[in-house]
Amino acid sequence: MDKVNKIKEYEKKNPFRLFADHVSAVATGLKYTFKPTRITLQYPEEALLLPNGYRGMLRLYKDICIGCTLCALVCPADAMKMATEQGKKYPMINYGRCVFCGFCVDICPVDALRETGMHDAAFQNRRELVFDPDKFNADFQQEMPTGKTVRRVKAIIDENKGIKYEPADN
Amino acid sequence: MDVLALLEFYILYPSFFVMIIFPGLIFALIVLLYTIWFERKIAAKVQMRFGPLYASKRSGGFLQLVADAMKFVFSEIIVPEQVNSTLFALGPVLYLLVSLLPLAAIPLSTIPPTGSVLSMYFHEFYDPNVGTGIMAAVVSNYSLLIVLALEAVTPVFVLFTAWVTNNRFALLGAVREGLLSVSYDVLLIMASLSLAIEFHTLDVAKIVEAPIPGFVANPFAAFLFLVGMLIGTGRFPFDIVEAESELVAGPYTEYSGLLFVLSMGGSYIGTFAYSILFADLFLGGWQPFTGYYGMIFTVFKAILVLMFAVFMRSVYGRYRIDQALRGSWKYLFPLALLSIVIGGVVGIWIR
Amino acid sequence: MTSRPEELLPEGGMGVEVVPVSGELNVGPQHPGAGHMRILVKLNGDIIEDVDLDVGYVHRSVEKLCENRNYIHLIPLVERPAILDSIHMNLGYILAVEKILGVQAPERAQYLRSFSAEVNRIASHLYGLGILTVFLGHSTGFMWGFGDREVWVEILQALTGARVTNSYIIPGGVRRDLGGAIIEMTNKALDYTERKLKDWKSMVLNNPVIRARLENVGVMSRENAVRWGAVGPNLRGSGVYYDVRKMEPYAAYDKLDFEIPVYKEGDGFARTLVRFEEIEQSMKMIRQILKEIPEGPILTDRFLNQIPPTRRKKWLEEQRRVVFPGYYASFRPPKGEATSMVEAGRGELLYYVISDGSAHPYRVRMITPSYRLIYVFKELVKGSRYADLVSIYGSLDYFPPEADR
Ligand code: SF4
Ligand code: SF4
Repeated sequence: MDKVNKIKEYEKKNPFRLFADHVSAVATGLKYTFKPTRITLQYPEEALLLPNGYRGMLRLYKDICIGCTLCALVCPADAMKMATEQGKKYPMINYGRCVFCGFCVDICPVDALRETGMHDAAFQNRRELVFDPDKFNADFQQEMPTGKTVRRVKAIIDENKGIKYEPADN
Repeated sequence: MDVLALLEFYILYPSFFVMIIFPGLIFALIVLLYTIWFERKIAAKVQMRFGPLYASKRSGGFLQLVADAMKFVFSEIIVPEQVNSTLFALGPVLYLLVSLLPLAAIPLSTIPPTGSVLSMYFHEFYDPNVGTGIMAAVVSNYSLLIVLALEAVTPVFVLFTAWVTNNRFALLGAVREGLLSVSYDVLLIMASLSLAIEFHTLDVAKIVEAPIPGFVANPFAAFLFLVGMLIGTGRFPFDIVEAESELVAGPYTEYSGLLFVLSMGGSYIGTFAYSILFADLFLGGWQPFTGYYGMIFTVFKAILVLMFAVFMRSVYGRYRIDQALRGSWKYLFPLALLSIVIGGVVGIWIR
Repeated sequence: MTSRPEELLPEGGMGVEVVPVSGELNVGPQHPGAGHMRILVKLNGDIIEDVDLDVGYVHRSVEKLCENRNYIHLIPLVERPAILDSIHMNLGYILAVEKILGVQAPERAQYLRSFSAEVNRIASHLYGLGILTVFLGHSTGFMWGFGDREVWVEILQALTGARVTNSYIIPGGVRRDLGGAIIEMTNKALDYTERKLKDWKSMVLNNPVIRARLENVGVMSRENAVRWGAVGPNLRGSGVYYDVRKMEPYAAYDKLDFEIPVYKEGDGFARTLVRFEEIEQSMKMIRQILKEIPEGPILTDRFLNQIPPTRRKKWLEEQRRVVFPGYYASFRPPKGEATSMVEAGRGELLYYVISDGSAHPYRVRMITPSYRLIYVFKELVKGSRYADLVSIYGSLDYFPPEADR
């Protein structure tokens, strides 16, 4: 084990540096005043297009599901439950409990569950949060309540600005 | 004289006009809104965000402040049990009025003998010291003293506001204000004094009319005055009295609704009054204009100073009370003495 | 004569207390500087005589819940106490479970664990710096901390599929692999953060106001740091060379080349500097990982072979991720117990897991770094000024949910 690392001491405050430090702090402030690097996403007008593989809301492909109950078993939040429809078992999900861990997607042996890139959703009451197998069997879509068109943008890491948003072409 | 002329006479009457319209109560409230907007916007710029935006996007969210003010006006004022509700309501109101008072003695411009709408007041507001009419609510040979005296009163009302709310955070804030006021008043008075010695007068108007602006004549005094102003009005890095993370909102902890606006407004308007004085003393006030334009120019300079003062928020945190006190007594006080010496020495030469 | 104010001022409700020369101040839980706890401060003038920390406002009985759930179910649960440091919370737990199961993650997975952990450490330290600066009234530092953190959160999101609740590390490996796009993102983020840290230095670290508020405040001597059980950056700020990554390397740390910043002073500024330099070290490590990461599977063969080959291939090729074998849903590890230690963002995090052979652990004990800080905090603020309460709080980077669990 290397104990070579030295124990450092920081440079003590010195009244002559003090003034320079004040100046450089104010200068940094001014620099950002004139060259702001804003990373705000202007939400209702722009919304993020979440990257592929984002663990958003799920959907079920009912015709593929074999009713093996593994998804319900692995679900850490008991969000996934099995419902019986005409003698067949299908999963149903309660988004009020789901923690979006994606375990169910990963464990399904036939890939009957998939993640969608959707994450913005609003519901009127708690009952609506429970999706029975039929409702669960479709891509979740919800209109933005503003009625305006929402620009979909992608977040891109930029070496100068941190994060910038580019229109997503879809 | 017909009615209109009479009306004009009374509205433009300097004592009324300066105190109530420009740059007094009405304009000061607009400046208050603008300053808070500016403070939020510029902090947002430094902090990688937009600040207020959605209330009137075209003006960069300026109406946000109007909306906020409206919201505060209509929100409930909660009066704590066990306080005297009259005094409770009186606290912020008095504080606001008192912080507006110094404006009364600060000269804003000169009144030329002829050729201006203001010329009719030339004789009434004649300052023999300067030899011209002065646009100020009260013309006096000792205006500097009056302003400083009036400004020294405000801490009392901060204490009063805190005291009547019977809240421990407020009391702690009040104690801090009390301690601080001793140090910043000294700085302000000594900085102003050094200028008075330098120009051999206690009349602000005369200082403005002097051939060189104050910050050239005595840069130390200018610096000290600026720091004293930041401490005195609780701007960063001396936001010690209100210190949000320590004292919630200091003396104003218990206030809500309109009373909260008034108490917050008090400190901004105080800064504004100090800024006008700073513009007069150190930045040459209305020079080279006179009359109306001079007035606007003075206030314009003051607003620049104010903008600088609120910009400090995005650069600094806050000092601790003992550090601010030590700083002002150990470093700034000797500097103030130095500036008085400079004032005296340069004063000989100026005469 | 009476001295009771309400008798002196009978009518009119002017029951104003006399200014307390000494008295108690009830800071929190609804206070801008208290976090999720209540701090009863006994003041004598401006000096704090004693504090009583009333913790537990965000207690969620994580340890008890652990006893009623399958092993796999606990991954999202153990992340919850320190949501901004979730990779470490997750990693420590998995390391203990892996010891009981007797599996070892393959080389590439080890590197990926280190990678995600270091990304998370940067994000966590920036969060801590942000909170510290807002406690000192420096709102720019606060916004910068959270804004610059966003970059790293974005990388975690691209890698793991979630911003903070990553649930990335699973027994035997990790869930997703690093792709070219993420490497490119990371390189950009490294460049950005390196540049930005310069501004951080002039704006925050060397800002005279911040320095004045941190230097010689909350000084913890080396002996006290050891005696009070401080961990992590707080311990290293007091001149103790101790870091689990060096002492008992886990993941890929034995192959990485990095330094542990240690400062002697033991005050708030030393602690902040340690954090700050750890960000730099983490970035160095990330660069090294990107360069040296070996090719190979990201899940141990024992579990990989349980996944149907076609499915395994499809997911690996399409999305560079592994899927779970059905075994995970409710596995029963052999009887046994294990401890694991990781160096989380705030310090040493210890897990102790006992298995009784059933599908649930018999007991999971987690000793989180913030839990140890409670006592340190209490001792440090004694004798300091009231304004330093928040300064010490921030410089310790104490995170109440992590302590309450
Ligand atoms: S994502 Fe996680 S919590 Fe949600 S249903 Fe699937 S397994 Fe359950
Ligand atoms: S794991 Fe897949 S196949 Fe099995 S029940 Fe769930 S969705 Fe259906």
